Amino acid sequence: MLEFMDYVQAAFHAQSCWNRDNSYASLTTTAHHLLDFPIPQGIRLHISSLSSSNFASSYTLGNQGVVDGSLSFLYTSLGLRIPGRSSAVHLGLFVQGYRQLTALQQPVVSKPNGVARDGKDVERKDALLYGRLYLPTSTLEALYLRRISPARLLRIACVSDSGLPNGGSILAVLQNDFGKYSTEYLYSTDSALLGMRGLYNFGYDPRFPDLYASGRPPSPPWDHQGGRLSAGAEAYFSPLNKSGGISTGLRFTTLPTHTGFPYTMTLTLNPLMGNLSSTYAVKAGPNLAFCSRFDFNVYSYESDVKIGMELWSRQQPSADVAWATSMLRPDWKRVEPDANGVLKATVDNHGKVGLSWECRVKELLVSLGAGFDLQKRQRMLGNVGVERPGGDEVRVAGNPIIVLNMRHPPTGKHYTSTSGTTHVSHAVKPVNPTRAVPSHRHEPGIIGDEIG
Amino acid sequence: MAFNFNWSPLIADTDRVRDMLTRSLNKSPKPPIIVDDIIVNELNLGSTPPELEILEVGDLAEDKFRGIFKMSYTGDAYLTLKTRVQANPLNTYLSNKPSFASPQPLAASSGLTIPLQITLSDIRLSGFVILVFSKQKGITLVFRNDPLESLKVSSTFDSIPFVRDYLQKTIESQLRVLFMEDLPAIIHRLSLQMFSTEYQGTEAQEPAKDQSGQRAPMDPFASPAQQATDSFGQPLEKTYASFSQKNLLRLAALTESQRTLSLFTPSMRDTVYRAWASAADRNELSNGRNTPLHRPTLSRIQSTVGSHSAWSSSAPSQASETPSANTRPGLASFPSAPTVYSLASSAPRSRAGRKRKNRIINLRKEKVEGDVSDVASVSSGYPESADCSATGSTAPSVEAEPTMYPSARVREGEISTPPRSPRKKVGFQQASEPTRLTAESASARRPVTPRNTAPMQVEDDDQTPRASMYLPKDRNQTPKAEPRPSRQRLTRMQTLPTRDKPPELPRRASDLSIHSLGAASSGSEGSTGGILEQAWMMRMANEIARKVAEEKGRRPTWRAGGDEGEVPPPAYVS
Repeated sequence: MLEFMDYVQAAFHAQSCWNRDNSYASLTTTAHHLLDFPIPQGIRLHISSLSSSNFASSYTLGNQGVVDGSLSFLYTSLGLRIPGRSSAVHLGLFVQGYRQLTALQQPVVSKPNGVARDGKDVERKDALLYGRLYLPTSTLEALYLRRISPARLLRIACVSDSGLPNGGSILAVLQNDFGKYSTEYLYSTDSALLGMRGLYNFGYDPRFPDLYASGRPPSPPWDHQGGRLSAGAEAYFSPLNKSGGISTGLRFTTLPTHTGFPYTMTLTLNPLMGNLSSTYAVKAGPNLAFCSRFDFNVYSYESDVKIGMELWSRQQPSADVAWATSMLRPDWKRVEPDANGVLKATVDNHGKVGLSWECRVKELLVSLGAGFDLQKRQRMLGNVGVERPGGDEVRVAGNPIIVLNMRHPPTGKHYTSTSGTTHVSHAVKPVNPTRAVPSHRHEPGIIGDEIG
Repeated sequence: MAFNFNWSPLIADTDRVRDMLTRSLNKSPKPPIIVDDIIVNELNLGSTPPELEILEVGDLAEDKFRGIFKMSYTGDAYLTLKTRVQANPLNTYLSNKPSFASPQPLAASSGLTIPLQITLSDIRLSGFVILVFSKQKGITLVFRNDPLESLKVSSTFDSIPFVRDYLQKTIESQLRVLFMEDLPAIIHRLSLQMFSTEYQGTEAQEPAKDQSGQRAPMDPFASPAQQATDSFGQPLEKTYASFSQKNLLRLAALTESQRTLSLFTPSMRDTVYRAWASAADRNELSNGRNTPLHRPTLSRIQSTVGSHSAWSSSAPSQASETPSANTRPGLASFPSAPTVYSLASSAPRSRAGRKRKNRIINLRKEKVEGDVSDVASVSSGYPESADCSATGSTAPSVEAEPTMYPSARVREGEISTPPRSPRKKVGFQQASEPTRLTAESASARRPVTPRNTAPMQVEDDDQTPRASMYLPKDRNQTPKAEPRPSRQRLTRMQTLPTRDKPPELPRRASDLSIHSLGAASSGSEGSTGGILEQAWMMRMANEIARKVAEEKGRRPTWRAGGDEGEVPPPAYVS
C-alpha cells in the first residue's frame, strides 16, 4: 500500500500530466507490484492529512526498535484535487496492482484555470517539495520535483544520515518524455555515479497523430493496435569506483483497446552479468491478475521462479441499481466499483511465501502482511498480528488521514519470519476550525471528501 | 630448563579448529560482497613447527606459566576458504545505500554470485607472543605486534589482476584482525574446553568421595572449616588436611598445657575452648561423662550468655546443700557471673555470634532441658573460677549429665525424623519440673520471677555455646567414627584425674535431688530467697528482656519461629 506522501506525489504527476510509465525505470512495474509488494513489519500508525490543496503532512509511529516514527511535510505549487478522506479514497489508487497502460499522449503541462494572459498559455513550472525526518535515527529525506518544461522533469532527492559516507548523498535525475521515447540522466554524489536510461516505443507516435490516423501500411504483428512494444536500456558508470553496469529490456503490453484480456510481457537482460529475467503478467478478469517471473543467469546457472497473484474484492452493486447495471451494454463505459480489499500472494521456488491483505475497515485503510519460509520449518510462520485500528478514537482538527500499520519485526534475517500487519488509513472530514472537535465520522453530516 | 612443544597433536586436531574458524569468520557482519557463509574448507598446519625463542619467563609453576616468546614461522601451513561473492559491483554498491536516493536501476544491478575459493599459503609470521597459562583460566595467547609478515593468496580470480590485488589486500587486513583478536579468543576457548573435559571426569567422582570420606574428617572442626571448604571443590581436601593434622597437634598441645596447671595457658584459652566445645559434645554423647575437664571451659563460655540461668540452677543446688551454703553460692556466684563475662567475654561472645546461625536450627524445642543442663554446667564452672563451695557446685555439674542425655537423644531424633511424641515427652518432663516448682511455691514470691525469666532464658540459651555443641553432632552423626578416636585419646588422657570420681557420687545424689527438688526447693528457697536474690533476678530479667528485644530486632523471622516454639511449653504446663 502506498504511503500517503507517495499517493500525493502520484497525484501531482497525474495532475501535471506526467506519464510515469513512459520510462525505462518503470518497464517492469506490473511485475514489481504483483511480485515484490512490500510486506509490512511490526505495527505502524500513519496519521496524514492534506490540510490544503497545496500542503500535506504525515506522521508515522511504529514499533521497530522501541518506538520509531517520522514526520513528513509536503508542499506543492500545484493545487491538488484529490480526495483527502480515506473513506473517499479509491483503494485502487493506494494499492498498486496490475498496471494497465494507456495510449501514449503528447506531453502537456496542466493548464491553469482560466485563460492565460496575453492570449497564450503560460507555461506552468509546477514544483513539489517534500521533507521527511525519521526520528530516532535523525535521518532526513528531502525531495524536490519540478516540471521544467512540458517534456522535462527534474527530480532531486537527498538523504542526510550520519551513518552514510560523507553524511549523505544526493541524486539528481533529469527526465525527458517525448512520448515516442524518453530519456533520463542521473547523477549521484555517492561515488559520482553517472547514469542514463532510455526507452523507445515502437509504433504509434503521439507527436504525429495524423500519420497514424491516415492509412498506414498494416502494422507489424507485434504492433497491432491493441498493444505497444517498448525497448529500453540503461547504463551506469562510476568514475571513482571504475565500476558500472548496463541492462536492456523489452516490454509488450496490451492497451485498453485490446479486446482480449490484458497482459504484459517483459524481458530484461544484463549482458555483463549474464542475467536474464522474463515476466509475464495477465489480468484474467476484472478482479484477478497473475504474474510470473523467471530469472536465469547464464554464467552461474542460477535460476529463480516466482509467481504471484492478486485478487480484488469489489463492492457489490446495491440491489436497487442491479437492474440498471444489468441493462448496460457491454461496450458502454462502466464505472468500476471501488474495492473492499486486495489480496496478494506470491511464492517462489525457494519456498518463500508472501501474503498481503489490504482493505478498508470502516474509514481506515488497513494492510496486513505475512511472510513464510516453507523450507525453514521451525520458524515457518512468524507472528501474524491483527489490530483493531485505533483510528476511531483519533480526532484531529483539520482533515487528517490516519493510517495504521501493524507489523512484527522479523525474527530472523530472512524475510521469511514475517509478521502481521495492519495498515489503516483514516480520514476525517475537513472541519471548520471554529467547531470544537470534528464530529464522529459515522455521523451522516460528514461529507467533505474533496479538498481544495 | 627445557620446553617441549608437541606439534603433531595440533595437526591432528584440525577439525575442531576448522569449525571454530568457520564460526568466528561468520560471526561478524560480512561485507555485502560476500553473500554466503565463509566455510573453512581445508586447514593444514603443516609439518614444520614455528620457531620459538624465549625472551622472558615471568611466572613458572606447575600449573601456571607466563612468558614472552619471539615467534617466527615459515612453515607450509595452508588454509582454504570457500564462499560465494557478489560479482556485480553495482549490486554491492547499492545494497548499503538508502533507497530514497538510489538510482534504482532496473536490471543493471541484478546479482551474479560466484563461488569463490581462496587458498592462503606461504604464511610468514614473526612477532612477539605473550603466553599465559594457568590451569584454571586456560591458555591466553596474545600477539604484541602484528605477526603477519606476508602470505600468498590464490583464488579463483587469479587471472584478473584487479580482483587478485583486491583480494590480497582485503584478506591480509582481515587476517591481521584475526591474529590480533580472533585467534587469542579461539585458543582460549579451545584450552578451556580441554581443561573442562578433564575436570568433568574428576568432578563426577569427587562428589562421592566427599560424601563418604571427606565429610567425616571435616566434622570435628565444626562449622567454620566446613563452610570454607564447601565453596570450592578442590580446596576442600587441602584445608581439611591442614586443619586436621596441624590443628589436632596444636589442640593436643593446648589440652596438655591445660592439664599442666601452668599459668601460661590462659592466653590460649579462647582457641582451646572452641575446639573442646565440639570435642566435649561428642564425648558426652559417647561416654556421657569423661569430660570433667571440659566442663569448666564450657561453662565459662556459656556463662557469657547464660549466667543469668545460674540463679535457677543455683536454686536447686542450694536446695540440696545446706541453707547456709545455698545462700553463699547464690550471692557469690552472681557477682562472679559478671566477672566471668568480663574476663572471657570478648572471644567467646564473638564466637557465639558467629555460630548463632547454625544453632538456631536445633535449639527450638529443647530449651527447657537445655536450660537445666546449662545451668548445671554453669554452676559447676563457678566454683572453679570463684572458689565457691566445692561440693555443692560439683554436684550440679555432674547432675547436668543425666539431663543432657535425653537432650542429645532428642536432637538426634530431630535430625533424622521428628518423632513428635517422644520429644514432647522429654520437653514436658523437663519443663514440668520448674513449673512444678512454681506451682508449689505459688504462695512464695520466688516462683513468680523464675516464670518471667524462664522464657527469656530459653531464648538466650540459643545463643549460648551449648548450641555449638549440638551442631557438630547433627552433622557428624555419620562421620563420628573417624575423628573420634584421636579426640577421645586426647580427652581420655585429660580425664584421668580425680575429677571423674567426684562427679560420680554426686551425680546420683543430684539425680535424686532433681526429682525431689521440687518440694525441697520450694520450702527452702521460699525462706532463703533473700531480697538480694530477688533484686538481682529482677535485674537479670530486665537485662534478658532487653537482650531479647535486641535479638528480636536483629532477626525478626527467626524470632517468630522461636516464639511459636516457645509458647507451647507454658501452655502445656499450665
